[in-house]
Amino acid sequence: MRFKWLAAIVGLTLSGCQGVDEADVGAEGPLVVSVAASLTSVMEPLAASYRRSGGALVELNFAASSVLAAQIVNGAPVDLFISADRFQMERVVAAGRVADPGPVDLLSNRLAFVAPAGSMLAVAAPADLLEVAAARIAIADPSAVPAGVYARAYLKAEGLWNLLAPRLFPTQNVRAALATVEAGDADVGIVYDTDARSTSRVTTLFVVPASRGPQITYPAAVLTDSAMAADARRFLDYLSGEAGRRVFEAAGFGLAERH
Amino acid sequence: MSGDLLLISARTVGLAALATALMLPPGIALAWLLARRRFPGQALVETLVSLPLVLPPVATGLVLLQLLGRRGPLGSLLSDFGVEVLFTWKAVVVAMAVMGLPLLVRSARAGFEQTDRRFEQIAATLGAPPLRVFLSVSLPLCRRGVLAGALLGFSRALGEFGATILVAGSLPSTRTIAVGIYNATVIGDDATAFSLLLVSAGLAFGALFLSNRFATQSTPVGPS
Repeated sequence: MRFKWLAAIVGLTLSGCQGVDEADVGAEGPLVVSVAASLTSVMEPLAASYRRSGGALVELNFAASSVLAAQIVNGAPVDLFISADRFQMERVVAAGRVADPGPVDLLSNRLAFVAPAGSMLAVAAPADLLEVAAARIAIADPSAVPAGVYARAYLKAEGLWNLLAPRLFPTQNVRAALATVEAGDADVGIVYDTDARSTSRVTTLFVVPASRGPQITYPAAVLTDSAMAADARRFLDYLSGEAGRRVFEAAGFGLAERH
Repeated sequence: MSGDLLLISARTVGLAALATALMLPPGIALAWLLARRRFPGQALVETLVSLPLVLPPVATGLVLLQLLGRRGPLGSLLSDFGVEVLFTWKAVVVAMAVMGLPLLVRSARAGFEQTDRRFEQIAATLGAPPLRVFLSVSLPLCRRGVLAGALLGFSRALGEFGATILVAGSLPSTRTIAVGIYNATVIGDDATAFSLLLVSAGLAFGALFLSNRFATQSTPVGPS
């Protein structure tokens, strides 16, 4: 009886680990792509459609960009890195892990000011926030989290940072800022446009135009140790091609200009 | 979120069981040493073993990442033999075992300390060699402590997140329940997060319930 259980567990474990077995994916192995967690819902369908169109099998590794960078710097077997944050990409470049010709900007995003669905706040420009005295503003931690850093840069450029700082409610990541607004615990939140579009429980007050806001880009790079660099480049081209454009733009991302 | 609930749950349980099996031999040996022997550096060993219990799991993960990375001392050695640990199920097992070990050692050590040493001494005077004494007297006497510890370590392994996500990543082939909950939360997929949470709570409840039963039933002092 005991052994039956043991056999069942071992069997399930082995089946659960399929996909890492070399025999399963051929000599080449899957293409391992480390992707900022905020891109999960767009990257999963794209990896699947790439495979269907005859491309390599892509395994996506999702985490915060800082975690992904730490893994790569320490020698994790990754072929392609798509970061939500320029600083983390620079860390990987500095560690000598990025293959020539270096990172390219893949996507762009914009900041959006949101309120709980049904909110009566009359805010159509950032300066209007000064009029609604009580409003509490959720923002990703402006000292560390990219979305917060961008929001601070924007508010500073608008000359509003010092005036609004006492009313800011910093959260651990941008999703938490969004959740705080969804729950009605903050009157306003500063999040990415793509986050704002992903839920019906917030209403967008206004989107910061790309021309006025900070430049928010998602850099991508093929890594030095990749045994599948050519495949990684092909997948990157697929993402910035027509198939990628459709999925990214539907979610609110822009495709960055290739220089 | 790709990968269905059953697969992720089965993988988590299986790998946690594997991690528990892996931590049992060193865990029992350490527990016995700490309970029965006095040796130089004992306090140091004791502290080192317990460290993963109090360090932030991400810190433990960072240490493992640097050890097991291709440029790390262990990782470079293993890759000479063609063994890649990072980003595979092996990394999950290592992270789980390191995080679960302190709980096993603590509980098993208490078990050894509660058993009467005289039975071991009697066996020794009757001519049993030390290993025989250990296997047929010491270990059976404190089986409850060891079982309770193994279940505690198993529960800890089930929920391990911080170290796992660093060394094993969150690939479709390595994703555990804890990592799955994190991913689902980040993308706002509350439905997936809550179903994984329910599975996780159910499993942890079962394991802790059993562990407590073993730990609280009075430890027999003599061979039964």
